[in-house]
Amino acid sequence: MLLHTLNSAPQSAATRDCCDLLTEQDTVILFGDGVYAGLEGSATSRTLRDSGAAIFALAPDVAAAGIGAKLAAGISIIDYPQFVAISAKYPGQMAWY
Amino acid sequence: MTESLKPGTLLVFRQPPYSNSLSRSGLDTALAAGAFEQPVTLLFLSDGILQLLPQQDSAGLGKRNHGKVLASLPLYDIETLWVDAGALSTCGYAIDDLPEGARLADRVLIRDMLAQHDHILAF
Amino acid sequence: MKYSLLVLSAPDSGSGNLAAARFAKAVIDGGHQLYRVFFLDRGAATGLASTVLPQDEQNVAGLWSALASQHGAELILCIASALKQGVLDETEATRYEQAAATILPGFELGGLGLLVEAMADSDRLLTFGG
Repeated sequence: MLLHTLNSAPQSAATRDCCDLLTEQDTVILFGDGVYAGLEGSATSRTLRDSGAAIFALAPDVAAAGIGAKLAAGISIIDYPQFVAISAKYPGQMAWY
Repeated sequence: MTESLKPGTLLVFRQPPYSNSLSRSGLDTALAAGAFEQPVTLLFLSDGILQLLPQQDSAGLGKRNHGKVLASLPLYDIETLWVDAGALSTCGYAIDDLPEGARLADRVLIRDMLAQHDHILAF
Repeated sequence: MKYSLLVLSAPDSGSGNLAAARFAKAVIDGGHQLYRVFFLDRGAATGLASTVLPQDEQNVAGLWSALASQHGAELILCIASALKQGVLDETEATRYEQAAATILPGFELGGLGLLVEAMADSDRLLTFGG
């Protein structure tokens, strides 16, 4: 049961390595360039969905990217208070950047 | 022989040794943890395994020899350097080429390590 | 819960530093304790006073300073990282015969022992990089 944060672009090694290690007990929070991993129809969003992990994306970065309407189903947009609330439930956080 | 996972902090290294200052900062963090006798586990993932390659000679770059410092970690009671087996298999080196404390970690063990430590610092 | 943060990236590059600042604020607003923020490697540049930003860019270091001044947040710049990037307090400026201190109010220089202490004492320790 692990919290992953991902703020690297979809083709990066960090994104690849993160996706490789996800389990369905995990949560992933996408921010910065990581939000692009959630683009509907992209290979990365399919990998994220298939992992069974809970996927969230930070609102300011989604807005900056202009992709609010283009996120894959099942990805929830959250704010920082929600980010903190999620972190309280997970002892460890693995930062992929 | 399997080593039982320790509590405490997992330090994860994902960068090669010299071009990125993070590798040095992460190693200095490990040294500090050792000096203050706080339990840490070191895990080298992906390109981070390149920090462990033998025969590093950084004099020409004017930088501290990363491999030599890693090899000195047993002095700080950090005996084991966990190495991403999948990444190692793609770079042409074998576990026997790496420092004495290097141990292979497959994906299952890596996931376990990530899930079981109290804290994870990612360099 | 007692939170500590490790910040590894500079305030004007990437997304990690700003995210950390906003996370830190949310920790405090959420009623948790922000025990320590440790800035290491490029993160130590956060405490550099002499930067001048374009008008259309947010002052991320200012967000951190506000956490210190308004909420007493402890912001530690790893002294080795800070010195490398030109962030000196009065003591170090004198020691190295530099013209002036360059550290922002609210930040302090400190050793890696403070990060190790945060490892031991915090309930949550998050890394922000990139």
